Amino acid sequence: MTAFDLFLQQAINGLSLGAMYSLLALGFTLVYGIMELINFSHFNVFMVGCMIAMVTLKLFGLNGQDTILTGLPLIGVMLVGFFVTMTLCGGIGVFIERLLLRPLRAVKGPAPMITTIGVSYVLFNIILLTIGGDSKNFPNPLPPIAFNIGGAVLRLREILIWIIAVLLMGGLTYFVQYTKLGKAIRATAQDQEAARMMGIEVDRVIMSAFFIGSALAGASGMIFGLYYNLAKVDIGFGAGLRAFTAAVLGGIGNVPGAMLGGVLIGLIESSSGQFLGSAWSDVVIFSILVLVLVLKPAGLLGRLAPNKS
Amino acid sequence: MYKAIAQTLGRPFEKMDPIKRKMYALWLLLIVVIILPLVLDNEAQTDTMANAMSYATLALGLNIVVGFAGLLDLGYAAFFAIGAYYYGIFTAYQVMPAWGPLWEPFGYVGLVEKINQGGPDLVHFTLSFWIAMPTAALVAALFGVAFGAPTLRLRGDYLAIVTLGFGEIVPIVARNSDSITNGAAGLNGVKAPLYWGVNTETMQIAKMSFGVDALPFYYVGLALVLLLIFVSIRLRDSRIGRAWMAIREDETAAGAMGINLVNYKLLAFAIGAAFAGMTGVFFVAKLQTATPEMFNFAVSSMLLVMVVLGGMGSVWGVVVGALLLQLMQTWFLPSITELCHSLGESLGSQMLLDVDFVQWTQLFFGIILIGMMLFRREGLIPARRAIPPLNMQQQAASVQRGGFSGLEKIGRWSNPKGNALEVKGVTVKFGGLVALNSLDLVVPWGGVVAVIGPNGSGKSTLFNVITGLVEASGGSIKFNDVELIGLRPDQVLDNGVARTFQNIRLFPNLTVLENVMIGQHARLVTGPVGAVLRPPAVKAEEKKANEWALDIIALFGNRLKPRLTQVVSGLSYANRRRVEIARALASRPKILLLDEPTAGMNPAETLELAEQVKSLNEAGLTVLLIEHKLDVVTRLANTVIVLDHGEKIAEGLPDDVRKNEAVLEAYLGRSAQAGMAGAAHG
Repeated sequence: MTAFDLFLQQAINGLSLGAMYSLLALGFTLVYGIMELINFSHFNVFMVGCMIAMVTLKLFGLNGQDTILTGLPLIGVMLVGFFVTMTLCGGIGVFIERLLLRPLRAVKGPAPMITTIGVSYVLFNIILLTIGGDSKNFPNPLPPIAFNIGGAVLRLREILIWIIAVLLMGGLTYFVQYTKLGKAIRATAQDQEAARMMGIEVDRVIMSAFFIGSALAGASGMIFGLYYNLAKVDIGFGAGLRAFTAAVLGGIGNVPGAMLGGVLIGLIESSSGQFLGSAWSDVVIFSILVLVLVLKPAGLLGRLAPNKS
Repeated sequence: MYKAIAQTLGRPFEKMDPIKRKMYALWLLLIVVIILPLVLDNEAQTDTMANAMSYATLALGLNIVVGFAGLLDLGYAAFFAIGAYYYGIFTAYQVMPAWGPLWEPFGYVGLVEKINQGGPDLVHFTLSFWIAMPTAALVAALFGVAFGAPTLRLRGDYLAIVTLGFGEIVPIVARNSDSITNGAAGLNGVKAPLYWGVNTETMQIAKMSFGVDALPFYYVGLALVLLLIFVSIRLRDSRIGRAWMAIREDETAAGAMGINLVNYKLLAFAIGAAFAGMTGVFFVAKLQTATPEMFNFAVSSMLLVMVVLGGMGSVWGVVVGALLLQLMQTWFLPSITELCHSLGESLGSQMLLDVDFVQWTQLFFGIILIGMMLFRREGLIPARRAIPPLNMQQQAASVQRGGFSGLEKIGRWSNPKGNALEVKGVTVKFGGLVALNSLDLVVPWGGVVAVIGPNGSGKSTLFNVITGLVEASGGSIKFNDVELIGLRPDQVLDNGVARTFQNIRLFPNLTVLENVMIGQHARLVTGPVGAVLRPPAVKAEEKKANEWALDIIALFGNRLKPRLTQVVSGLSYANRRRVEIARALASRPKILLLDEPTAGMNPAETLELAEQVKSLNEAGLTVLLIEHKLDVVTRLANTVIVLDHGEKIAEGLPDDVRKNEAVLEAYLGRSAQAGMAGAAHG
């Protein structure tokens, strides 16, 4: 492989990882933008999403990489898989918000954040106790089609991941920009009190942000499974930290920022894995997080929500 | 029912002095924990209890960071790891450089020894456990400072995720630095502690041999817990502890009251890290091995659960929390599991036989976190008990009105001639908005200057730029010939400029007395060492500070005095305003900046406060005042300055300004005369 091929290959890998992180980062950014809360349960909603997707695909009789689907069945299975995963994860998000966070709405200090840490723990351990801690084989029915671009390889699953990510992010952008609820979300992020006085049901806005964010985390979890062909109980931490870094890098509270940050983090991870060894990629990502927070806390695209300090 | 039992049992002790009773109870508890392992005489249980001690010390350290200073640290185990690896590396057979004459002197003091494993002579480090303990505290504290310096400026919630990352990085570094830490396999052959000059055989007979018996570790651990409880309590009840709690309650107000935010956060971080570093040495000396897995996120989060369960900020609470969780893990869950298994056997139920609750430990951790946050946020043993509010009779008891009484107690201000505060050409911009445009303002020594103007005219911005809360984009602010622009809020206060806030920024969960005590922060000098050792000088300082605070509070007559130990969030609005003024006065200001001090007060209270400010001024205190109520302004001010859209539109005597056409138009609107009455009361 030439240096250019190597670069191209890492760009392809990085874009796929980036798509995954972007979707996950959106959940952090939506919730933070509205409530100024770092939602630690998001880490493991992602992991649960990966598990739900695995179980759903297995229910279709898919197992490992044995069964290859093409054409309509493939599209159908993928659609159903994403739909089920996203709906269930969104439901989990709503459940967390409605039952555990809403009672703490008026409480100042770290209580809501500590609650989300507790939720994250509970989700992790429920999966650990029911599905187990070992690495599971994630069903992947995609035909092994690959294109050679110079020395780099572009596989079908990467194309699929990109398409899904673009569709979801495009849909979200449309939703936030042009729908009534989307406008309500943006208004609430700017000023909760004013939004409430203008007749916006803030509770409903927060709940929908949790639903959307968690659903996107579910999609991201399924993409993780398709990309790595595995599902494991401890994947939430690394992916979550990267996605959070992505959200901060793009400017937390900022929807396009989360998308941009995710792609950048994906590219950084794939290239640092190439040049430093994957054992150090956590260190690199974490250093970026600290550097951005210290040097440019508003991120690349700036905060959407005003700084309420 | 519990209450009835407790009352019956407590009857003989009812008449005892409560402080003495507490002392006796503590001594009794101490004797119990000392003889407990001897009575049980069970190696495994002693070992478990020794582990519990190390969890308690870690929880105590995390409590300083999270409970006292309010910094949510999710990677606390990293400092535990640093202490552990520090001791491990300097006693295990992993890092062994070649022997040379340079090492000889270290050999004499017993820090290294020459060994030969076939080949050239090598250095084997033999750091003593007893030296490692205090030095590990230092090393960990240094790491705490090095790591905290860039990150502690971050907002609280960001700090949580950054520490989370840090907690994850340290084990990764340990895992990937094979040559120093032996990677994932971990360090082996970490040395157990040694006694000095004591016959080892005697110790073996007494079951006190390190590395063989758990008993000596239990006692070392117990001593460590006692030491750290002592240190925590001493710090909590000192100038340092008050500063931490102020930061936890309201950072902006803490800065404005003279507390250097970064330094005090770093101090909390460093002391917390020191506790963890010491525990790390203890822990690996006991296990005689150190692996990266011993310090992962699970440990950090378990410690958080302990602190949350016991009560954030509660010293005894977190110890109880640590012991309870250890009890749950090592006794309760295994016992329940056994019970289920024997039930399963007799009932023939496979499901009951398969249950293993020990695996559920972490699930319970999560449930405890959620449950405590939803139902008992203050923890099992809250850091402070709620004090009942005054009853009607106490509230009605002779409320003293009028100006200040006892002002002579806090002294007079002797002022030089000339100007105290000189603001020249100060401009403040927020993005495109010019909040203050090239403002000039002068406050003479001993004068009262009032700043009035419509909402959004830049009055509070003026206060914020003087006190260092917002940055000026140009100009100069000289107080007492010291340039204030570029100083931090705490430095501004240190120069004698104290302020109140328009929206009242007290430390809501602290008492009236504590709030006023924090006001004196900049005038006291006790450092962390003094706070822990409490030498006579520190005792005297505390006593004087307390008297000073009481004198200040006494200025307000019966308004605040009966409410000394009340938490300020439960006070009436007017009383909170008074506490805020008392807090500012406690800092011995040369100038007092009052931001709408009578806002929200009824006419009688307004009058009372105006009288009080007047008597302060008569005692010589220079005052800069923002006020909407024109009758207050007329009564108090020598000079009135009118702001509109960030610019000064008029300046002069109160009566002249009232007649100024530009003022009437800007401030009172076009129908000036009609608006006058409304403005006077709004």
